[in-house]
This record gives sequence, C-alpha cells and structure tokens, in this order.
Amino acid sequence: MRVILCTLLLLFASPAFAKPQRVVSLNLCADELALRLADPGVVKSVTWLSQDPRSANVAAQAAALPANDGHAEEALAFDPDLVLVGPFSEPTSIALLRRVGAPVVEVGAPQTLEGVRRQIRDLAAALGEPQRGEALVAEMDARLARVAIDPIRPRLKALVLRPNGFTVGPGSLVDEILSRAGLDNLAARLDIAADAQVPLEVVALLGADILILDRDEASAPSLADATLDHPAIAALASRMTIVSLPARLWTCGGPEIAEAVERLAAAAAARGREATP
Amino acid sequence: MRACAADAEVGYAPLVAALAALALAAALASVMIGYARLDVPAALADAFAGRSSAAAVVLEQIRLPRAALGALVGFSLGLSGAALQGLLRNPLADPGVIGVSGGAAFGAVVVFYSGLAGVFALAMPLGGVAGAIVAALLLYALVGRGAGTMTLILAGVTVNSFAGALTALALNLSPNPYAAYEIMFWLMGSLADRSLPQLWLALPLTVVGWGLLLTSAPALDALTLGEDTASSLGFDLGRLRAQLVAGAALAVGAAVAVTGAIGFVGLVAPHLLRPLVGNRPGRLLLVSGLGGAIMLLVADIVVRLIPVHPELKLGVATALIGAPLLYGLIDRMRREA
Repeated sequence: MRVILCTLLLLFASPAFAKPQRVVSLNLCADELALRLADPGVVKSVTWLSQDPRSANVAAQAAALPANDGHAEEALAFDPDLVLVGPFSEPTSIALLRRVGAPVVEVGAPQTLEGVRRQIRDLAAALGEPQRGEALVAEMDARLARVAIDPIRPRLKALVLRPNGFTVGPGSLVDEILSRAGLDNLAARLDIAADAQVPLEVVALLGADILILDRDEASAPSLADATLDHPAIAALASRMTIVSLPARLWTCGGPEIAEAVERLAAAAAARGREATP
Repeated sequence: MRACAADAEVGYAPLVAALAALALAAALASVMIGYARLDVPAALADAFAGRSSAAAVVLEQIRLPRAALGALVGFSLGLSGAALQGLLRNPLADPGVIGVSGGAAFGAVVVFYSGLAGVFALAMPLGGVAGAIVAALLLYALVGRGAGTMTLILAGVTVNSFAGALTALALNLSPNPYAAYEIMFWLMGSLADRSLPQLWLALPLTVVGWGLLLTSAPALDALTLGEDTASSLGFDLGRLRAQLVAGAALAVGAAVAVTGAIGFVGLVAPHLLRPLVGNRPGRLLLVSGLGGAIMLLVADIVVRLIPVHPELKLGVATALIGAPLLYGLIDRMRREA
C-alpha cells in the first residue's frame, strides 16, 4: 500500500504533472513569454495591452483570450494555478494573490542580455517547459550571432530618444542592444543615470550619427510622443540618420530584442556606406 | 481723473518704452540661456546663410520659438488680466483665478487627445478659445454686473475646479498610456520644447484678441465712473462686455492651447503696474501686457537655470512669486472692507 502511495506521489511530482494548467498573466512582458512558452490553451487571460499589435508581438494570439487590467481579482476569477506579475504590478495585488494561496511568479525587467536569457529559462521552468525555454534562448542567440559587425569600421555614435525626451544611459539592456549593433551610446558622455530626460537642444548639439526614436506606429496622440515629432528633429535629418524602433521590440527584455539589434545594425551599415561611398 | 493720477510718477510713453525695452532684453536673455552651450552669433550667421547646422537648428527651432512664445503668452495673460479686472472692476479677476485658463486647457485637451488637432491645423488654438469662451460665459452668468468679490472668487473657483476635473477625465479617457500623466502640463504650463509651427498657429488668434482688448481702453476708463455715466458718455456696455470676453478668450485660449494654463501672471502684472499708470484701467492694458511678458520670460529663464530634472513647470515659478502677492492683496482688501 505504502509503495503504491509513494509511486503515485512520485508520479504526480514529476514534471509532466507539475505543469500549471490555468495560467493568468497580469503583465505585458509576461504575456509575451507565457504565450510563446506554454501549451496552447494553458494561458487563460492576458493584459489588454497585449491585444494591441502596436504595443505587443503576440497580439494575434492574445486577441483570442479574455483581457485583464492587471488586477488580482481578475486573475482569481480563473482559479489560476500560476499567476505571472511584473515589476510594476501593484504590491497590494501581489500580496492579495499570495494570501489566497495562488502561486505567483514575478517577471522582472532584465538589464543585461544574460538577464534576458535567465528570465526566459526561469519562466520556462515555472511553466514546466524547460526545453522550449532553451530553444527560445538558442534562437535568440543565433540571430544575435548572425548580426555581423564590421570590425574595421569605426563605431558610429548613437543616441536613443524616447517619448518625453528620455534617453537611455549605460548599464542598461538598451545600452547592450546598441553595443551589439555596433553603436556607441552617446548618453555615456552625459553623466546621467540609466534613464534620464535630455533637453532637445542637447540632443541636437551632441553630434550623433544615428538618432534612435522609440516610437509606436499610430497610437493616440500625447504630448510625450509629440516630443519625437518636434520640427528640430526633422531639420536635423540631413545631419544624422533617424531610425524609428517600435517600442514592442525593446520595451520588454524578451527574445524580440534580437530584431531590435538586427534593425539597428542594418541602419548602422547603411549609414556607414553613406559616409564612405 | 487727474486726482486719481496723482501717484503716477512716470509718464505713460516713457513707461511703455522702458517696459518694452525690458521685455526685449528678457527675450534676448531667453534666447541666450539654455541647456546646451550655443554660440548664438555663429548660429545666427548660419541661419541667415541658410546653412542648416545643428546650432542654427537649435536657434531657429528651439530657442527662438521658446522666447517668442514666452513673450506672446505673457503679454496675453497680463493684458487679459488687466482687461478683466477693468471690466469686473475687481483686482482679483485674472484668467487663471476665474477659470478662463482652465476652460481653455480643457478645450485644447479635448481637441488634442481626440486626434482632432491632426484634422486641421487651427483646431488646437480654436479648441482653447472655445473652452475659454464657455468658462467666461459661465462665470459671467453667475457674476453678472456689479457682483461682489466673494461671488467672483467663488464662481471662479467653481469654474476652475470643474474645468480641471474635466481635463483630468479627458486625459484618463485617452488610450495613450502617457496621456494620464500630462495633467501637470495642462494645469501648470510649460514652454519646454515648444516649436515654431505652434507659434505661427497661436499668433493670428492671439493678435486679434489683443486688438479687441487694447481698443477697449477708452470704454474701460469711462467705466470707472460707473456704468450709468459710461452709458451716458456714449459707450455701449453690452458691446464692451462682448468685446472684452471675446478678446480675453482669443488671447488666453490660443496661448493656453500651446503652453498649458499658467497662473498668476494676469494677477501680478496689473497689480504691480497699476500705481504707475495712475489707476487708469485703459492705460494699464498695454503696460500690464508688457509686464506679463517680462514676468513670464523671467520665470521661464528661472526654470531652466534651476538644475532640476524634469524641468519645473512654469506655473510653479509664477505661483511662487504670485501666491504671496495674492495673499497680501486679499489681506489688504479684507482690512479695507
């Protein structure tokens, strides 16, 4: 009898049975990873942000699922055996989920490429799909490796400009993305933290070769986005290459950053050819 | 009128000339001072030679529009404050205090965040003007003629908070995630990264508003003698009211649509300059406009010199100067009453 019980316990504890079957994600970045890693039908609900193709890479899959606003009670309605939250989820929501006994896994905002790999692997393990996690990491690494960086060409100077005039400094994932694409981040000269506002006139006078605009295709208007449409930037187009990089490629530290690196490297190569015909 | 002018120590023409010179100096300083080192003469040479150097772009597209808008908006607020104070015969009537600026901000917010601003260029300033007119009419319906200061302020507070609430609601309804955080701009105002096209859009409506306000000077002077006397002198008071409300709405509405609502300028500028023009509301108009321009340009230089990021909103700087002054003014009125 005891032997049978032990066998049964072992059986249920094995990975095949440990896979969560009702996963609810309360964070955009967790949505994307969960939909890529989990079996179809396992993810029961994602955030409304994931259903917009402008802000998400998995909008087609997400559109078929019920959307949530990131509240704990929305998650509990699905009787989840795994709830994914993000770095900006309400601490009270997370506390409430833990109190009622729902297993919670927090998806962070990785600041390095190594952190991105670890995040994918960790989440894959939580979903009981470690092989898929490895495959996703391998695919991303293969794409990154294919981005050929011409070692002779002097590295071009680039600056990132995000809505509201924010730029990204050293010690961030974006800085590593730039570096992978063969670009030097000019923000390193500004003596600023990882995220900081730069006045537009500083942007204009810094002498970047490439200005990278973090811009979504056609979202509703805002003053924050309008900073990227300032006529001064258009007037500078003859002096620097202006690249628009959609936020969905680099807001979350997910596998899609490989595409961000590819696009930036292509822009750098084009600029390099222009400069030395 | 002569008796009233007893404490006017300066002549009108020299006063206007001096204030205009000060406003020009402040505008020049605003062009010279910024976040980056800019060789202004070299940039100017590039701009005139048609070379689009980075320095020329910064001068033409960032520094000049900022200084010009500072002068334009300050003049509009100072002038409108003086005109409304003359009309309501109350020194606390200021576009910010009585809710005209708040109404303008709401009008501009609705036009901008609904995407209507992209349909035709003038939509944004016209939205501001429409909001300002609605706020002014709501206020006038409550205050009417000869209402006391208490009624004016209470009506103003009501219109102002209602417009502020509607602005917040409109911003929260926008699907853009940044919109909800932009209430600070609309309630406190800023000249940061404004552009040349915005200046050209605001300018025509603003200038029409100035024209309406400045030409009301003789009627405003007559109004100090009482409404009956002014009527018997041949001034049509209904027409004067319409002219002043339309003028203030055009000037303030177009300005707020570009910079957000900036408080206290329309209150402080007339208050400081009134003794210098012998308390004549007609003469106060131009003088107060110039004073408003100086005040706003200086406030905008101050917010750029204070090493705080993100940049302080302009309304913070004007309130730091204006609020103590308003406090003193109310205190004095209370003791005189």
